[in-house]
Amino acid sequence: MKQLLAKDPTNIVITGVGGQGNVMASRVLAGMLVDKGFYVTIGETFGMSQRGGSVMSHLRVSQKSAWSPQIPLGQADIIVALEPSEALRVLSRWGNPDVAVLSNNRVVYPIGVITGDYDYPDEDKIKNIFAKLTAKSWMIDATSVAMEMGNPVLSNIVMIGALAKTALLPIDRHAFEKEINKNVAADKRNANLAAFDAGAKMV
Amino acid sequence: MGNEAIARGALEAGVNVAAAYPGTPSSEVIENLAAVAKERNLYVEWSTNEKVAVEVAAAASFSGLRSMCVMKQNGVNVASDFLLHLTASGTRGGIVLVSCEDPGALSSVNEGESRYFARMLEMPLLEPADFQEAKDLTKWAFELSEKIHNIVMLRSVTRMSHASGNVVCGKLPNKIPQARFVYDGPLTDPLTGPVISTPVGLKHKLQQEKLKTAGKLFEKSPFNKYFGPPKPQFLIVTSSACFLYSREALSMLNLQKRVGILKLGCTWPLPEKLLKKYLRLTKNIMIVEEVLPFMEENIKVLAASYPKEIGVKSFYGKIDGTFPSVGELNPDVVAEALAKIMKVKYKTLPASYAQELRKVAAVIPPRDQTFCPGCPHRASFWNINAALKLDGREGFVCGDIGCYAMAALTPAIGFHTVRTLHSMGSGTGLASGFAKLDMFGFEKPVLSVCGDSTFYHAVIPALINAQHNKADITFIVLDNAGTAMTGFQPHPGLTMSAVGETVPAVDIGKICAAIGAKVEVSDPFDLETTTKKLNALLEEKGNPKVLILKQICALSPEKKGKKQYEVKVNEELCLGEDCGCNRLCTRIFRCPALTWDKAKKKAVVDEVICAGCGFCAAICPQGAIIKKEVVAS
Amino acid sequence: MAKRLSSQKLLKNNVLDAQLCTGCGACVSLCPYQAIYNDRTVQLHYCDLTDGKCHAYCPRTPTDFESLRELLFDTKDLTPEIGAVKAYYLTRAADSEIRSVAQHGGTVTALMELALNEGMIDAAIVSSGNQEYLRYGTVAADKNTLCKNAGVKFTVSPMAAAFNQFTRHEKGNAGVVAAPCQALALAKMKLNQDKNEAKRINQLQFVIGLYCGWALSAEKFSELLAKKYIRMDAIRRMDIPAGKNILELHTANGIREIPLDEAQACTREACNYCIDSTAEYADVSVGAARFAGTTEEQRGWNQLIVRTRKGIELIDLAAKKGFLEIKDAPQESLRDLKKAALEKKKTALANITRKSGSAKNLLYLDNRDVLLRRILGV
Repeated sequence: MKQLLAKDPTNIVITGVGGQGNVMASRVLAGMLVDKGFYVTIGETFGMSQRGGSVMSHLRVSQKSAWSPQIPLGQADIIVALEPSEALRVLSRWGNPDVAVLSNNRVVYPIGVITGDYDYPDEDKIKNIFAKLTAKSWMIDATSVAMEMGNPVLSNIVMIGALAKTALLPIDRHAFEKEINKNVAADKRNANLAAFDAGAKMV
Repeated sequence: MGNEAIARGALEAGVNVAAAYPGTPSSEVIENLAAVAKERNLYVEWSTNEKVAVEVAAAASFSGLRSMCVMKQNGVNVASDFLLHLTASGTRGGIVLVSCEDPGALSSVNEGESRYFARMLEMPLLEPADFQEAKDLTKWAFELSEKIHNIVMLRSVTRMSHASGNVVCGKLPNKIPQARFVYDGPLTDPLTGPVISTPVGLKHKLQQEKLKTAGKLFEKSPFNKYFGPPKPQFLIVTSSACFLYSREALSMLNLQKRVGILKLGCTWPLPEKLLKKYLRLTKNIMIVEEVLPFMEENIKVLAASYPKEIGVKSFYGKIDGTFPSVGELNPDVVAEALAKIMKVKYKTLPASYAQELRKVAAVIPPRDQTFCPGCPHRASFWNINAALKLDGREGFVCGDIGCYAMAALTPAIGFHTVRTLHSMGSGTGLASGFAKLDMFGFEKPVLSVCGDSTFYHAVIPALINAQHNKADITFIVLDNAGTAMTGFQPHPGLTMSAVGETVPAVDIGKICAAIGAKVEVSDPFDLETTTKKLNALLEEKGNPKVLILKQICALSPEKKGKKQYEVKVNEELCLGEDCGCNRLCTRIFRCPALTWDKAKKKAVVDEVICAGCGFCAAICPQGAIIKKEVVAS
Repeated sequence: MAKRLSSQKLLKNNVLDAQLCTGCGACVSLCPYQAIYNDRTVQLHYCDLTDGKCHAYCPRTPTDFESLRELLFDTKDLTPEIGAVKAYYLTRAADSEIRSVAQHGGTVTALMELALNEGMIDAAIVSSGNQEYLRYGTVAADKNTLCKNAGVKFTVSPMAAAFNQFTRHEKGNAGVVAAPCQALALAKMKLNQDKNEAKRINQLQFVIGLYCGWALSAEKFSELLAKKYIRMDAIRRMDIPAGKNILELHTANGIREIPLDEAQACTREACNYCIDSTAEYADVSVGAARFAGTTEEQRGWNQLIVRTRKGIELIDLAAKKGFLEIKDAPQESLRDLKKAALEKKKTALANITRKSGSAKNLLYLDNRDVLLRRILGV
C-alpha cells in the first residue's frame, strides 16, 4: 500500500555546488520514491554549470502523473541544500511560506567572495532568514560528519539521512538500503549506510 | 534519464551500430549503449567528430543494419555536409540521427536550432515530449527510417535529455543480423545500386516522395495527441519539453477546461490533416516551442494555405512577441503569457512574502563558473598570461570549445588572455588568419588553444592551413587526457575505446611534427619551464609553433579524490593584503580552494575542496603556501 | 570624490607609458605584480593598492628631493650642478690585476673588494650580463666574480631589482654599484622605508654611483646590431675611445666599430629626461677621468666624488689599506665636470618641458625645488 504524499505533486529542490554530489543525491532520493510507486520527474542542470557553479535538481513526486522537469517559481515544498548560500538562492526563487528547508552549514565560497567583491552572509543571518521565511528549517553540519567518516563527498548521503528523519517524505532507512544495494558498488554500501544513519541523528 | 530512454528505445529497436561525438546534453546516450555493447552485440564508438559519426552509422545502414548517431546541436552543423548528400542518396537499414539541443545554452556557447536542418535537408523530424516517448519515439524512428529509406532526425533538449522520469520498458529483440552491402544494381535504384546522390533530379524527387510518405504516416501517429475539451476557447500547439510546461501552466491557471493542447511528436513534415482538424476548433492558437519559431512558421504557412477550411486565426508565439526567441521556456513563462491573454490571475505568493524574497536575493553572492580546484587550465592560462606580458607585444589567444572556453566566458579566470571563442577548432583557424594580417600592419603575436579531444575533432585542418601558409602562430594544446567537459569520454589520443577495448593512440605531438610545426611539450604545473618555453616560442619567427601542455584533469578518474600534495598556508609568512602581495592568490589566481579569512586577513586552504595540485605554492611571493607530498598509504 | 588611482596604474600612466622608465628595477622583486624582461618593465597582473612601494621607490615618480638631501648629505656640500661634494679626487686601483680588466682605473672594483675583505658587506651587487648582453645584477662575494663583471656597460642593468631580490632572499649587508637613476631609487627606499621595509633597506651599506650620459635601449640596440650582423652574445666589452666618435665592440673576432651617432640613436628614451650625470644620490660617484675633457693619459684613472660620511669612511679605509691610489684632481677638471653636468641638466629640462608642453610641468621633477630653480635661472 502506497504511503500518501502531503501534497501532489511534492516539489523538491536539491541544490549545491558542482562536485558536492548533488546529482547522486537526487537520483538516490528519486530511486527510493519510484520504488514506492510514485511518478518522479527529475530536472537537472549540469555540464558546464558543474564547474564551480551552482547546481540544482528539481524533483516532482506525484501519485498520478509525470510533471514538468522545472518547478514553477514559488512552488518548492522541500529544499535540500548542500551549501547554505545555495539554499538562499533557491529559496529566493522557489520559496513560499510553507516551504521546508534542510541545509548543510558548510560554506563553499564563490570566487566573487574570495576576491572580496561580494560578502557572504554569516550563519546567523541565514538562520534568521530561514526562521522568518520558511515553515520548517534545519541547518546541520553534514560535511564535518562526512569528513570524520573519511570522505567529505558523503555529506550528500548525510543530508538524505537527515531528510528521511524529518518525515517530510515517505522514505526510510529500509528504502535507502534497497536503493544503494541496486546502484552502489558493494564496497561502498557500508559507508553510505553509516552516513545515512549519521544524518538521521542530526535532526 | 531522457538519454537513457533514447538508448533503451534504440536497443528495443535492435540497433546494431552507434557512433557519436560527446557533447552536453547528448553524451549519456552512447555511454548507456557502450555499457551494454558486449551483452547486446553492438558496435559502439566515440567518433572523431560528428560528421564521421554519421558516416560510420550510414555505412551500417547501407549494409542493412540499424544504426544511430548522436550529437549536440552544434554537431548537426558539423555533420550537415554529409547529411545533405545522405538524405539525397537515401538509406537502407533504419538510421536515426539524435540531436540533443540546449535551449538557454545551459552547457553551450550558443543555442543553435537544428530543427531547421530537417526542413532544409528534407528529412523527417520527431520530438519526444516525455520520457516514455523518448524511448518509444526512438524505437519508432527506426521503423520509420526503414519504411521511407531515409535518415530520421530525433530532437531532444536539455530538459528532456538530462531530466528523468518513469518509463515502462519494452522487450529487447534477439536477432543478430548479417551486414550485407549490395551495390551491383543500376545507378538509378537506390536499394540495390551504388549509394550516391545522383542522378540529382531522380534522387531529389525520390527524397521528396519519402518525406511525403512520412507526412502521411504522421497523420495517424499516436505521438501526435490532443488533450483538452472538445470545444476549446484556445488551442496550444506544442512539442518536446514545452508540452510539459504547457500542461503545467494550464494546471497552474486552472484552465484545463477552457484550453486544449495539441502535442506534436512529429514536427516535420507537419501532419496537415491532423492540424487542420484541430486548428478549426478555435480562432486563438498559441504555439509553444524552443527556441526559434520553427513550428510557428510552418503552421502559419499551412493555415495560410487553407483559410476557407479552417478560418482566419490569431496566432500567439515568438513572432508576435508573446514568447521570447531567446533562451529556454518553463512553466512560469508559459503561464504568464497565457494568464495575460486569458485574463486570469497567475501569481500566488503574498506580496509581503515576495518582497522579503527579493531582499534575500540581494544578499546572496553570485556564484560564477570557474576552473575546478586543481584544474590544469588555470595553471596553463597563468603561464600564458605571464609569457604574453613578458613578451610585451600585446599578444592574445583565440579560444576554443571545452572547459577552457570558460577562460573566454569569464575573462578573469583566463587572466584576460582569450579574446575570441567560436566553434570546435575555430580558434586555430582564426589565429591562422590573424597571423597573415602583418602585411596590413597587424603585429600582435597570435596564439590559439584547444583541448586534446578538440584537436582531433577539427583543429588539424586549421593547423595544416597555418603551416602551409606560413602563418606565424603559437598553438597550445591543453592536453588533459580526456574529453573532460562532457565526462571523460575517450578520444583518439587514448588507448581505450568507448567500450573499454585497447586501441592504438594517435599522438598529437607526432601529428603536429609531421605537419612541420615545431613542437614543445611542458607540464603547466611547472611554472618556470612552461613560461620560458612559451616565451622562446613566441620570439621565434615564421611557421606555426606548438606547445603541448600535458596535465591530467583534476576530475579524471585517475586523479579524483587523490591529493598529490597536502597544501597549507603558513599564516606568519602570508602577507595578505599588504604591499608585496595584495592577495595574489585570492584576488587574481582565484582557485576556489584558496579562500580569504577576512578577520585574520590571511589566505586559507579549504581542505575539503582542495585537489592538492600544489601549483599555488609556486605563485605565492612569500613562500607562504606550503605543499607537502602525500605519501600513498 | 574621484577614486585614487592605484600605484601600479600611476606607474603605468606616468612612467611606463610616458617612456620615462629607466629600467632600474626599483619596482621589481618587491611583489609578484611587476617584472623586468628583456630590458622592459612589465606589469603581470592588476594591483589596486594606492600606497605601493613600486611607486614610492621609482626614480621617475615625484620625489621629495629636499628631504632626501637632508637625510643623506651635509647642506654645505651641495652644488647645483653635481650634487653634494665632500671631496673630489683622481683615483685608480692599486691592484694591477684589477686595472687590467677595468675600463678605466678600476676604482669601483677595488672599493668593492675592499668592502668585502673588510667585512663591511657580504655581497657586492654589480651589473652583469647574460648571454644576450641584456644585463641583470649579479651578486659578487669575491674578487674573481668582481673582475669578471668589471667594465662599463652601455645598456641598463636593473640594479635596484637586484638589490630587492638580494634582500628578499639573503640577510647580509650589501654594497651596490648604481647608475644615477638607480642611485636615486635606492636613496628613495631610505627615505620612504616603513617599518616592514626598514630591516631590508638597512642591509644597504653604501652605493657607488657611476657617471652616466645615456644608456642604450637593449631592444633598439639589438636591432642595430642585427642589421650589422653582430651577435649580441659575441660582445665581450664596449668602449668609446676618447675623441673618436665611435663605439668599439670587442668581440671574439676582433673589434667592430659603430659610429657613435648611430649607437646614440639607440639611447633609451627615458635618458633624454634625466638631469643627473654624476649619480648625485650615491655615497661616492665614479667616472672616467676624461669625462670632464682631460687627456688620453688620464685614461687609466677615475674621477671620484665623495658625497657622504659613509663615502669618506670608505675612501679613507681604501687609502689606509692601500686598495686605491688617490691624487688630487686639477681644479679645471671639476670646473669642466660641472659645466658638462649643467649642460646635461639644461638639455634634459628642455626635453621635459617639450614633453609636458609647459615649463610649469616638469613631470617627475618639482619646479619649486631650490636647486632646480637655480639651474632654471629663476
